[in-house]
Amino acid sequence: MTVKLMQGNEAIGWGALAAGCRFFGGYPITPSTEVAEMMSRELPKVGGKFIQMEDEIASMASIIGASVGGLKSMTATSGPGFSLMQEHIGYAAMAEIPCVVVNVQRLGPSTGQPTAPSQGDVMQARWGTHGDHPIIVLSPSSVKEAFDLTIEAFNFSEKYRTPVILLADETVGHMREKVELPDFDTIERVERMSTSVPPEWYKPYADTASDVPPMANFGEGYRYHITGLFHDVAGFPTQRMDEINPWIDRVNRKLERNLRDILLYDDSMLDSARTVVVAYGVTARAAAQAVKMAHARKQKKVGLVKLQTLWPFPEALIGRVARTARRIIVPEMNLGQLALEVERIAGRSKVVRVNKANGEMVTPRMILDAIEAK
Amino acid sequence: MSEEAVVTTSTPPEVEEKQEKRKRGPRGRVVIFGTWCKGCGLCAAFCPAGVLALDDDGHPYVIAPEKCSACHWCDTHCPDFALTVQPVERGGEE
Amino acid sequence: MSREEHLAYEYLRHTKKFPAVWCAGCGIGIVMNALVRAIDHLGLEKDDVAVISGIGCTGRMPVYLDFNTMHTTHGRALAFATGLKLAKPKLHVVAVMGDGDALAIGGNHFIHAARRNIGITAIIVNNSIYGMTGGQYSPTTPRDMRAMTAPYGNIEQSFPIVELSIAAGAAYVARSTVYHAVELDKYITQAMRTPGFSVVEAVSYCHTTLGRLNKLGSAVEMMRSLKDNSLTVSAAQKLEAEERLGKIVRGVFHNDPDKPEYTRLYDALIERASGGGNGHEIRTSIKGR
Repeated sequence: MTVKLMQGNEAIGWGALAAGCRFFGGYPITPSTEVAEMMSRELPKVGGKFIQMEDEIASMASIIGASVGGLKSMTATSGPGFSLMQEHIGYAAMAEIPCVVVNVQRLGPSTGQPTAPSQGDVMQARWGTHGDHPIIVLSPSSVKEAFDLTIEAFNFSEKYRTPVILLADETVGHMREKVELPDFDTIERVERMSTSVPPEWYKPYADTASDVPPMANFGEGYRYHITGLFHDVAGFPTQRMDEINPWIDRVNRKLERNLRDILLYDDSMLDSARTVVVAYGVTARAAAQAVKMAHARKQKKVGLVKLQTLWPFPEALIGRVARTARRIIVPEMNLGQLALEVERIAGRSKVVRVNKANGEMVTPRMILDAIEAK
Repeated sequence: MSEEAVVTTSTPPEVEEKQEKRKRGPRGRVVIFGTWCKGCGLCAAFCPAGVLALDDDGHPYVIAPEKCSACHWCDTHCPDFALTVQPVERGGEE
Repeated sequence: MSREEHLAYEYLRHTKKFPAVWCAGCGIGIVMNALVRAIDHLGLEKDDVAVISGIGCTGRMPVYLDFNTMHTTHGRALAFATGLKLAKPKLHVVAVMGDGDALAIGGNHFIHAARRNIGITAIIVNNSIYGMTGGQYSPTTPRDMRAMTAPYGNIEQSFPIVELSIAAGAAYVARSTVYHAVELDKYITQAMRTPGFSVVEAVSYCHTTLGRLNKLGSAVEMMRSLKDNSLTVSAAQKLEAEERLGKIVRGVFHNDPDKPEYTRLYDALIERASGGGNGHEIRTSIKGR
């Protein structure tokens, strides 16, 4: 156990190393640069590889290439770079290559305000790349969570052969908090499922009981083809419906059937709560404070859900909340993105948005006012 | 077409026949894998010895096997690996 | 069909459908043939070779080859290849790209891969057009030629691939044509032997788009044109500048096998980084590789 005062971005880096990350390909961009700097320093010490690529497009490509070569890999960026990475996030989803993409959100759109926090990329993290694709998106709200959820991100990406996005924000990325880090040897690491069939039998996209095909790394005796085109179980391009349709089903099913594992959240005081605050990321801290203040003012029936997994969206959880809560308050540092999902599921429950999209934080007072409003 | 062997003063006929065969015999045998051939015509157009011709569909066939010098132009340039040139024992039959 | 009949058969994927997808007479198959001969000549194990492509007609090459193959995104083959090479430095990594893929959308990755001198062999099949999408002009389409997006004639000048590669830092730069297929495989062999970043420009033609739009003839005629209009470096030196216009100069233009290669430099960096400790207590908890 090590106790340290640590910056959020640094914690992301340590989480990656603890999870077994041995490749980082990235490009400097505020407010994520500290992740790259930290990885450039620490990776070579453990025999890992760091490279600053020429842009974010190349960064994302390099981490996919490295993952295919057998290394757990990661990149880190912010809005403008995240936009550039979208094509290759889709490639990783299509080719089912594990990798972790950290987006330390800043105020947008466009150049926006590089040093101001935001939660404006929630929908982009889900739908930024073209075409229907499944994806996992995690959102930390503290330095410790940045460490823990980075490890989860790697484990999910290896387990499900999918890119995973760690959606942080400038405040969590740059804040410093005391963290108690466990001995890295005790951390559970998930490795991609490998294969042991004879090479000529190996099918990189075979149907398996778990819906996740075993992944052989290049250069280890298994030669196969990877492409961004729709492909058959051997990885070869296909236009046949009897090969495309099963792929679409399997790739979506591989996450949908594992929601119990993937959907991470904290909740408190949900029982019989008539008002529930659903929050994530840095805003969850203000939400927790607001709910505490509400209880102190005898507003007993206020619950709190802190989402750590944003996508796949926890429909069942929010559906349950909506059944008992009369109002669901969704505070976000955007003009209402997660709120769209909550509204979709809320049914008769009223959804109240508490928004700020100008780089200023949503304060506990703002959320408390919403809680207490009639 | 029959040829009368021209008898020179010093070379016995059977030796001369062998010499002629060595000079004129093919060094290579072109094998065409028709299933892969797309009929682009490169092989027939560029064969320096005129070993290949194109049929009505534009696919090559060996018209002058004896002229093949095994230069390998055809099988190094066929985009579809539809031709190979097999080595042939010189001076003898295949 | 066996290795004895055509050595290429040893290296083609038996489960792929042949003949390949390219037009009859296309030079890409010739480049593939040359690449296979080079790999055979080098005696490499198939498991130790990776062939990575971008998008376009040339991008369809890797799937036919029995190596570790990736068909990536337009212009980005070298970036994927960089990650793979760093993860597995012992792999022989070949990136095959068209002229548009390598030099337009991929231009930035091209110059940086050369600048890093990373051990990748870049084969650029230069047919001076975007063939797959129907014949739009590319960064190497000659001025005044017509294309689907240059209906009034191309007004842009052409990228000099050789000079670009050398200026960016490549260790080995060569050019040949698909007419000179045996010379091509010799250059590819040399390129793959070079530890650093190697560029082989394989000049080809597209008779179905650029050729058709500019009445340059059939595949046979365009192939003949490559033969007639190309010459070696030494022959070119004897010509006046005006006589060299429009000619394709073949040869090895740069060869620096001792130039430090990127992954080896990084391995040395790892040595330095692992040796010196900075007393950071967390590091002691991290398992090494």
